[in-house]
Amino acid sequence: MTVIVVPKPPKGAFNADRPVSALLKNQILHLQEAEFRLPTRQQTNIYVNKIKTEGEAANYISKVTAKLHPEAAKHVTSRIAAMGERKPARKAKAKIKAKKPKNQGGVGRKKKR
Amino acid sequence: MPPGLEGLKHIVVLMMENRSFDHMLGALKATDPRIDGLSGNESNPDTTGAVVKVQPQAEFQSQLDPDPDHHFPGVDLQLFNGDNSNQRVANMQGFVNSYFQQQRDVKHSRKIMYYFTPDQLPVLTTLATEFAVFNGWFSSIPGPTICNRAFAHYGTSFGKVGMDLFYVKEPFQSIYDRLVTASPARTSKLYYYDQASSTMEIVNLLQHQSELFGTYQQFIADCNKGTLPDYSFVEPNYNDHDGDNGTELASDQHPDHHVQAGELFIASVYNAIKRNPSLWRSTVLLIVYDEHGGIYDHVPPPACMKDGFVAQPNDTGTGRSFEFDRLGVRVPAILVSPWIPKGTVVKGPQEGGRTFEHASIPATVTKFFLGDYDRRSPREKAADTFLDLLTLPTMRTDGPDFKIG
Repeated sequence: MTVIVVPKPPKGAFNADRPVSALLKNQILHLQEAEFRLPTRQQTNIYVNKIKTEGEAANYISKVTAKLHPEAAKHVTSRIAAMGERKPARKAKAKIKAKKPKNQGGVGRKKKR
Repeated sequence: MPPGLEGLKHIVVLMMENRSFDHMLGALKATDPRIDGLSGNESNPDTTGAVVKVQPQAEFQSQLDPDPDHHFPGVDLQLFNGDNSNQRVANMQGFVNSYFQQQRDVKHSRKIMYYFTPDQLPVLTTLATEFAVFNGWFSSIPGPTICNRAFAHYGTSFGKVGMDLFYVKEPFQSIYDRLVTASPARTSKLYYYDQASSTMEIVNLLQHQSELFGTYQQFIADCNKGTLPDYSFVEPNYNDHDGDNGTELASDQHPDHHVQAGELFIASVYNAIKRNPSLWRSTVLLIVYDEHGGIYDHVPPPACMKDGFVAQPNDTGTGRSFEFDRLGVRVPAILVSPWIPKGTVVKGPQEGGRTFEHASIPATVTKFFLGDYDRRSPREKAADTFLDLLTLPTMRTDGPDFKIG
């Protein structure tokens, strides 16, 4: 049985401050469309036109997806080492600040009230 | 019926992002001439008129920045290099010209012709040479992600050539809907990486049919427990973000995400299936890319069955309408199963062989699990299917294993 060693990417490959791509921008717009169909009290109050980085995009995407697919959060939360390696040590969850909007404006559709 | 098909229970599709066939697998032609890759003489003119040849200088990250244009007008330029005549034929000469438009940097624009060497992509190239590689798998539309992925889910993009929202038009259902509403019902799941990455299939599915979705953790658990559904579609991580156990690196290989992260993800999907012997013998895994990402490929896309929809000039951005009668640029596509002979190369239409595109996915899944099914787009009904590649009379025992370095 041939075993192929797969190199890991360098740590510097990670960049949550990377500007959002057109793909992520469109994903956000699609999610916003879905979010506006939720009851107002379940909406995130995040203004998508202010999302500039992948980290900010991930924060928004996570919040909306959790509303649309709450079943995922109920699944086993412990990471499974997919490659058969030992489980990585638990690290403190990084806090992602959700930016509070200063006003009700923004590019794209206005929220339905 | 061959025993591999007789015992087949699961079809798994992993769709990656934005890399062309030549960019990822073109170098394999040097070791296997049957693979329709690069000889090294393929070229494009740059904007000064200089000839820019393909070169094995692709880098994992920070090279294709800005993200190459892969929207419909940009791809039109890549295919036809500005020829707008009615008799035009795709010449694949506009890639450098197209990339130049984004930054007006002649030197940088040439990097669109760079490709990876096999040692840089040990997972993809091993799977391509160990199992079946398609010389003729094309994206369904000469355009971007959302409409191309739509062909994998619905067999059509409902007339869309861009990234806009669209809504399912009767009578065409998603492959997931067809399976779960069949009698007897089949099972199906679309696994996205995690909530911070989510799915690209928000439209109509996640917002209306969340029961069709799972996370990648669930996919791994389902593989371990042997509870994988009949049909699974797996999405990689689309963004860098912090997760429960530290940083989560985007693994979709969309520029400018690190290509090695995608290699790891492909390996992890493969290992998850192979680790369960019962699953390994009864599963076929298709690894495919949604579109070429604006990156060079030398094979002109062929004509195809019309979709039944028409995109108007306002939507195409080219001044022409589009009747969905031409496929998009070629992408890497590999079929993995212990029932496929080692080193299978599926000839493409450019060699008198077969044409595959993303509509081949629902076509194959429908044919296998549901048989005759009429309510599908003309494109999907005409699409070739791929399970006939499982031809071995006895199962192979020599598949590779991948280990993190």
